Amino acid sequence: MFGNNRLPAFHPGLTQSRIRDTTTGSGLWFPGLRSPPLPSESDPANDQLPLPITPEDLYDTPMAPFNPYTYIRCPCSELNPYTKRTPDVTAQGLSRAAQDDDDHTFDPRAARSNYSLYPLEYLSFCEDCHQIRCPRCVAEEIVCYYCPNCLFEVPSSNIRSEGSRCTRSCFQCPICIGPLAVNHVETPPDPNQLLSPDHASSSHSGSYVLSCSYCNWSSTEIGIKFDKPNSIHMQLAKLRNGGETRLTAKERKERRKEQASQGGGGGSSTGQGEEDLDTLLDMETQFANLKSFYQNQLSDANGTGKVGGDPSAALGNLGFDAPASLSRIMSLYTGSSSLHDKKSKSRPGTMREALAPSEGLQLASLDESSAITALQDFESTTGLDAYSSTASTTQLQSQAPYLGASPLHGLTRFTSSLRPIPYLLRTKRSKRCPQCRHIISKPESKVTTTRFRIRLIAGNYIPTITIKQLIIPGLTPPPMPNLPPDTIEPLKPAQFVLTFKNPIFESVRVTLATPATTPGRFPAKVTILCPQFEIDSNTDVWEEALKDNNATSSSSQAQNLSSSTGPEGSGPGGRKRAGTLRPGTAGGASLAGEELGPEVGKVWERGRNWTSIVIEVIPASLVQTAKRDGRGPIKEDEDVLEIPMFVRIEWEAEAPEDEIMPGLSSTKGGNKDGGKEKRELAYWCVLGLGRVARTL
Amino acid sequence: MSASLPHRSVANIRGAAPTSSSRSGSSHRERESSSHRDRGDRDRERGDRDHSGTSTPARPIPTFNTPSSLRAEEELIVVDFGTRKIQVGFAGDSAPRGIVWFGPEQQRRIGDFRDWQTDYHQDWRSKAAGGNWGRDYELWRPDVRGLELGQVGDKVEKAVREAYTKYMLIDSRPRRMVCVVPTGLPIPLLSAALDSLFHRFQPPTVSLLSSPVAVAVAAGVRSALVVDLGWNETIVTSVYEYREVATKRTVRGGRRLTEETHRFLAKELGHVQRDSRDDKQEYVLSFEECHDIANRLVWCKPFKAEKTPKSSPPQPASPEGEGLATVEESDEDKPTITITTTTTTTAGEKPLPLPPKVTIIPLRSGRSPTSVEVTFDQLSEPCENTFFDSQYSLSSFDDHELPVHLLVYRALLQLPLDVRALCMSRIIFTGGGTTVLGLRKRIFDEVCHIVQERGWDPVYGKAKEQLRTNPKLKKRHGRQTTNNSNSSSNNNNSNNTLTTPGGVSPPTAAGGAAGEGGTAAPVSGQEEDGIWHDAANSVPEVDPIEAQLARTNPASNGRKPLQGQLRAIESLGPWAGGSLITHLKVSTVSTIDKDQWTQHGVTGATVRQADVEAKTQQRLSWNAMNRGGREGKEPWTLGVWGAA
Repeated sequence: MFGNNRLPAFHPGLTQSRIRDTTTGSGLWFPGLRSPPLPSESDPANDQLPLPITPEDLYDTPMAPFNPYTYIRCPCSELNPYTKRTPDVTAQGLSRAAQDDDDHTFDPRAARSNYSLYPLEYLSFCEDCHQIRCPRCVAEEIVCYYCPNCLFEVPSSNIRSEGSRCTRSCFQCPICIGPLAVNHVETPPDPNQLLSPDHASSSHSGSYVLSCSYCNWSSTEIGIKFDKPNSIHMQLAKLRNGGETRLTAKERKERRKEQASQGGGGGSSTGQGEEDLDTLLDMETQFANLKSFYQNQLSDANGTGKVGGDPSAALGNLGFDAPASLSRIMSLYTGSSSLHDKKSKSRPGTMREALAPSEGLQLASLDESSAITALQDFESTTGLDAYSSTASTTQLQSQAPYLGASPLHGLTRFTSSLRPIPYLLRTKRSKRCPQCRHIISKPESKVTTTRFRIRLIAGNYIPTITIKQLIIPGLTPPPMPNLPPDTIEPLKPAQFVLTFKNPIFESVRVTLATPATTPGRFPAKVTILCPQFEIDSNTDVWEEALKDNNATSSSSQAQNLSSSTGPEGSGPGGRKRAGTLRPGTAGGASLAGEELGPEVGKVWERGRNWTSIVIEVIPASLVQTAKRDGRGPIKEDEDVLEIPMFVRIEWEAEAPEDEIMPGLSSTKGGNKDGGKEKRELAYWCVLGLGRVARTL
Repeated sequence: MSASLPHRSVANIRGAAPTSSSRSGSSHRERESSSHRDRGDRDRERGDRDHSGTSTPARPIPTFNTPSSLRAEEELIVVDFGTRKIQVGFAGDSAPRGIVWFGPEQQRRIGDFRDWQTDYHQDWRSKAAGGNWGRDYELWRPDVRGLELGQVGDKVEKAVREAYTKYMLIDSRPRRMVCVVPTGLPIPLLSAALDSLFHRFQPPTVSLLSSPVAVAVAAGVRSALVVDLGWNETIVTSVYEYREVATKRTVRGGRRLTEETHRFLAKELGHVQRDSRDDKQEYVLSFEECHDIANRLVWCKPFKAEKTPKSSPPQPASPEGEGLATVEESDEDKPTITITTTTTTTAGEKPLPLPPKVTIIPLRSGRSPTSVEVTFDQLSEPCENTFFDSQYSLSSFDDHELPVHLLVYRALLQLPLDVRALCMSRIIFTGGGTTVLGLRKRIFDEVCHIVQERGWDPVYGKAKEQLRTNPKLKKRHGRQTTNNSNSSSNNNNSNNTLTTPGGVSPPTAAGGAAGEGGTAAPVSGQEEDGIWHDAANSVPEVDPIEAQLARTNPASNGRKPLQGQLRAIESLGPWAGGSLITHLKVSTVSTIDKDQWTQHGVTGATVRQADVEAKTQQRLSWNAMNRGGREGKEPWTLGVWGAA
């Protein structure tokens, strides 16, 4: 169907294979065989690579078969805030700027237009504002959170506290992002453990691993095993790569409390700070230490070094000594916001800097020679290639931030330091029109249902456009013999049939406009042969079927372009080929009329709720233009003939008498005329017609 | 039309209510221009929001809600803008929830899935033409000529939206935002980014934080030398008491590293690369691949101590006889080259044990897939060329392309003594370049080395050395230099300095002296602004902050902050700093109100120089970060980012 022409068949396996491609370069790859199978010519001397690249070299890049497509530009992008603001912006000035924008035709090749173009399927429609709504101009609300792997719903309170990843046992492979499964491994019974049967089960080396069924990665490669097959996330949080345990933030806090109580009341970190200056803090701990340090400092500074006049002083012994906590509590009652709370914020006093790791100061260990030698000796120690021992950029980027890592630098470099990626949670979202607040789309709140309660998709409101090249056997000149298939010949007129299909129950008048030559580097001449036409309403299918029965059964023949139907007045539901309806060539002599081809100002063909017209283009020669303008070789997709087209549709609709929202739809006419009102909608769209051949 | 309005939620209502008093002023202003339809809409909208503010909130709040869950409603969002990626998360978290990298896939149309086709390979060659190699992977470049600003805004929007929906899982309710932005960001870029944020996400306010300060905060220090090994350039910023006091930059950064990696690989493939680094370079490999290899395998050699005797006679800086001397100098430095760069041939003779270690790098984006075999020594070459270029003499660089270690040294050198003393023991490396193995240590060691060699003296060279070694020269020479460089009024002063024994003291002494805040034996004088500042005859200033600290925190009195010795510390990075600052409810200098921005845009910002000066005293405290102690909402500023 129309619109999703560019979507290839999409299946989950594709995701994996693609990541794999970018990371290792081979579709299949097993961890045991570290280096991906390479082409055999690894000797650079034999390789005759060094050839200068000429534009001509690029012409023979293999092309995927082209499918015509239509993109619609959401009108919201016209309201751009980047109007040249003068210091005194008046309403007049703004409207003038808006007019300037109107004069400007839309260029689908411009750098920004990629961000505002959408296939029809991605667009919604607000019934009250009568406007197209794109993903950029809807307000979203979250219906539920769920894990895409286990499909469990996660309560929203957990999102804030535990992060936006699944905290159960759902993980992705760090190598290929495939789903990981928890597997039991048979460990040979350890004689020591047999001696003490009580502790056998709780021994440190667990017997469950995460393993990827796609690339055979398993968590043993990073030295991690689990004791229990469930709640892997929690277990993993306590394990470093290599199996070393790590304290979670909570445990650390408890331990510190214990130390403080043991150390005899004081608990001031200054004493023990110096000794463990070398200890490596992981990111989470350092952040927590810093946070508490700053909070202490701020409260200290305000609590003791105060001159007076601070409201928090009076409350100091009530436990509100920290200004932060005070202002927070105040803001609860006064409603003032935290960021701008100037009244309650006294001038914070001075504070010192952090001096010890317990306060968040972390000396940098600049010595990375161990990592360097690890990198260099990788091959000699393991016999595997050093290159493939390192993680690729893609793999690193898909890693979840791991707070247990000690800071940062150069550490996540080897594949052995990658960690399983907990699945990102997903949301179901309902969408609202940002202006009238009406719901545009609302999914069922249960995770497993894919149904929608409300879904106003644009395809139900605005005509769809399908594109087909028009080849009339007699008329269209035969293509050049050396022309690649599916391409348009440059410098020769080509004709395309645009079929507009009306989804609504009223007949619609369509007005099309397009610049005479397409903007951009390779201008093509465009002529819409019939820029104004009507599409009949989307009446009941049965109605038409019945009508067709009344008429002759020729309508089925009319579907293929080789023949035409009966006389023009065969009823609103019947098909008619206006272009062929010439005096004297009615009925059986249609073939002769056919050869005359499309005519200016006439609809090409029309059916129950569709009308097709013809558009004629003369594309420019890519090669010659590229040679002449000296702007380098033809870029990707620059050979696609794209035509910006302004579509304006008008129809008369039943006025919603009970729920008239003033000021929302500006297009409302008078509310007389039997409750009918005129509506209109206008937008730019882009038609991708085909690739222009790079021959001439 | 554009207006938007916001979900009516508890947070909004609460947020709206208190500002109503200040709005009486602003709505008056708005009334003037209310002829515009948008504004009318907004006023109306606001009217009924106010109304609902006084009545019961629309959404029921369970009575057992704790204050903390109420606070959760107004979550602040911290966005850290980098050239290659943005990091987005909630204030108070220790790490960003989502990191979104910029790339060509993002710039595709929605619904264009060609990237996922198995047989699709990106035609990077045509995109790389005209100096655009790798440009798709960047949000912006500091050079805004020919840049479509709207596209920058679009990229920002798309990335933030991705972070919102994919990583943070939040709805589109307006939330306050805090942007951590590099200080050197040009105003047009900042304006484009802010435009996009305000237009698409409708935050009530956006606060700007400077990233070096945030980095310092995330390290727990008040002063620091932040070495940001960034993508476009390496920026060395001195932060003193939460305030940037000096910035130096060089073009040697991540992009240069990637380009050098490409040159290196192209050379390995047998391509003869022209030595020019201009846009006309032909690329044989894709950006993605080179970047990947640079990330994976390129490492940095440790600092070679054997260089010490070689470069100890530094280049003459005296104006006379520069031609010949410099040439000689570079010749003298030549041996360094052979060590560092021509390792291909000499790998066997090197002190390295055994045969050189080799790795095989598969290359797929060339004309045909192939692989090259390189030694690890060679793999340090791109890093060497990018950040150090040690085969050239230090005096041969332009100001914009100083090697990083020299840049760090100069940044420290130009600082006032006390500031330097603090900053040099708080060197923070941050940015993407820190992932290059061994680079931080190398830079650090090189800086140590320069300091050891020269001390903190801007004058160096043969003449200097002669002066130092030959006491006879001193008197005469000293006078000469003074006459040359200074007005005679300063004669006494400078004479004094130069004749001081140990003028060029070993670095430890210099550092120690610096550490004591100028009370000890004088260090070499420095020339700044044409005036000799001399530690010897300056009265030690009372540091108000230290004094106050000593008063308020007698406990910490015994532990003076370390200063005067080179030391590197670790920071959690700009995002975490922004998160901390915001979490501690420190308000920022520049907080931009949405209404004001929509009205005036960037042109509405004012530089309140007077305010800034008046507050200098305050700024030296923690207040520095909270410079925005302004009354009312009327004037607003972009702070260090200036004004259009």
